[in-house]
Amino acid sequence: MPVAVARSTIPLANIAAACLVAACLAAAPARAKDTGLIFVSNEKTNNIIILDPKTLKIVKDLKVSRRPRDMHFNADHTKLYVACGDDDVIDVVDVAKLEVVGKIATGASPETFALDEARDRLYVSNEEASSVSVIDIKEGITIHEVPTGAEPEGVYVDATGKNVYATSEVGDLVHLIDPEAGAVVNDVVVGTRPRRFAATPDGKKLWVTTEMSGEVWIIDRDSFTADGKIEFLPPGMRKVDVTPVGITMTKDGKTAIVTLGHAGFIAFVDVATRAVQNYVLVGKRAWGVTLSKDEKTAYVANGLGDDITIVDTASRKALQSVAVGRIPWGVVIDE
Amino acid sequence: MNKLAFLAAALCATVARAQTPAPPAAPPRMTIDYVELADDARYEPLRAFARYILLDRDHPFAGATLGVNDAKPLSRVLKADHQLERVTVKTPEEMADAIVKANDAGVNFFIVDAPAEAFRAIAAAVKGRDLLLFNVSAPEDWLRRDLCSPEIVHTMPSRAQLMDGLNQFLVSKKWRNILVFRGPKPEDNETAEAYERSAKKFGARIVATQDFTPGTDPREREKNNPALLSAINADWDVTFVADIDYDFVREVSYHTVRPRPVVGASDLVPAAWHWTWDHNGAPQVNTRFSKLANGRHMDSPDFAAWMAVKLITQSALRTNGGDFKARRAFILGPGSFDGDKGEAMSIRPWDHQMRQGILLGSPYSVVAEAPIEGFLHQKDVLDTLGDDEPETTCHLNR
Repeated sequence: MPVAVARSTIPLANIAAACLVAACLAAAPARAKDTGLIFVSNEKTNNIIILDPKTLKIVKDLKVSRRPRDMHFNADHTKLYVACGDDDVIDVVDVAKLEVVGKIATGASPETFALDEARDRLYVSNEEASSVSVIDIKEGITIHEVPTGAEPEGVYVDATGKNVYATSEVGDLVHLIDPEAGAVVNDVVVGTRPRRFAATPDGKKLWVTTEMSGEVWIIDRDSFTADGKIEFLPPGMRKVDVTPVGITMTKDGKTAIVTLGHAGFIAFVDVATRAVQNYVLVGKRAWGVTLSKDEKTAYVANGLGDDITIVDTASRKALQSVAVGRIPWGVVIDE
Repeated sequence: MNKLAFLAAALCATVARAQTPAPPAAPPRMTIDYVELADDARYEPLRAFARYILLDRDHPFAGATLGVNDAKPLSRVLKADHQLERVTVKTPEEMADAIVKANDAGVNFFIVDAPAEAFRAIAAAVKGRDLLLFNVSAPEDWLRRDLCSPEIVHTMPSRAQLMDGLNQFLVSKKWRNILVFRGPKPEDNETAEAYERSAKKFGARIVATQDFTPGTDPREREKNNPALLSAINADWDVTFVADIDYDFVREVSYHTVRPRPVVGASDLVPAAWHWTWDHNGAPQVNTRFSKLANGRHMDSPDFAAWMAVKLITQSALRTNGGDFKARRAFILGPGSFDGDKGEAMSIRPWDHQMRQGILLGSPYSVVAEAPIEGFLHQKDVLDTLGDDEPETTCHLNR
């Protein structure tokens, strides 16, 4: 039974934000401008560095709430949602104006989230609260606070909106959550410290990075069982340095890119054969990874290098690194 | 309803209840015993002169509890729950008895929170039994090297690991000349010895070792005045202080004849854990712990107890609820454990010491984590800390 929990914090700001968003939507045509701008969230400097895609110069240093991490655009790219861990909110950025125009309250320390716009739902992992918040974006209320294993991180919602998946870093589990019931309904045990997801485009497999065991585990969604794993070892590195976190997949479902954390490499994986094709050296503690729309370029956030590395996916070579804020977490592109 | 009808109805209800299958019972429980000594002097609050409490200390039961809490979501998969049973006894002999009795009753895993001396009686009493004891608070090297018991696993770092962590840091800074102040307690002597052994290993040089006597007696001033103790005929880089009582060491900083940093018992302290450690998911661990322990900061024994429970619960998970022998093999095997300090941890097969990073903590920050970059090892970089296989006298794997 869904229980509507009224937001206890910053109600006024929320109302104001909702009004602002509404006003903004009314005034500006809700159309993507495909600016190509590159957005990088920085955990320690509490800002989003916005880079020009051609010159790679900083267009704007956008102050947001504290400890910004995961970011997602809405479908028409008018809004960018930013999870801000130390203020327990998701900031809403107006992409045309490059301004924060609203805040959505979450549980304690939101880290990553999944957006289901068709159903007005946000699924947020709250690292400190050991829960996933199910939030109604329109109403701005938390519908459920689903208890998970400790330190939930990756969140994925499937196309039907009926199955939500979340990792528990401490529990070594992937939870299957029924968002209507607001409860975990099943678990799969994976490697040590599971972090983030990428789904194959057919929706059949879910790839999960497991940081401490240095692997990617593959979950078969139909049977909800582990269906194999992939190990990584870039040349000259030790197993203990390989700490996979970020992951993304090409739209054709042929290639996955996995960031290997402290090893400072990313791996290109052939999805069909599950074989590692290339390792590309990037920067210190490679975490978030995003592909450009044309998939010619990958952007990697190097958390302990305070920079991002731009990788050419055809030649599988790092082209250059660009300094951003302190402890960059992730990258998204407005295109 | 008359009386009889009521009685009949009640009876029917009782019968019905007896016949329906039991409601989904709470999952079976796997018990971990937490054994401790009452009046363990190691957990008395550290006091300054005139009753100021410098540091509240407590048994690491909260660390073990955090481990059990963290494992709760696993109960759906394990179809069983782990629970802690706290057993408080008065003497080491009683402790050995309590462990043997619990083992007879089916408990295989024990968190033993006891000073090193207590392990002699315990190790003798449990020899050959199907159990694992986790040492979560005694850093003594002789426990690993000499007692060398196959039934004991040490999740608390050894003195050798702690001192190696400290020396890696000092040597990486090229602060190689060390003045040692050694206190009067046996532990101080052991600490100074461990430090010296480690200094030799990493190429630091002990310029002088000065024995101190805490106090203000003017006749003892050569022994109780840091300025006089440090007025030696040589320069040095760092003052290492071995002072288990945390008393004299508080007077050393700013009182030596030369301005030299203090390490060891205070100022820069090698430890298993630190409340400001903020990498590898540690902030969440610290927050969960403080909530549980009424605001107390997580300390090294808490970390060791938390890890011990993690090893135990993981062994159930990874062997699909296997028997004790399978779980023991998993814990002592090559598996890797996540302890929120970066490198994956595991148990050394030769002396059952847990490999782990060492945090070099100042009062408000972690200055560095050892292994320090550049100290390499042919197999596992964590084996640059503490007794490596060729160095040890304990060979449980042979």
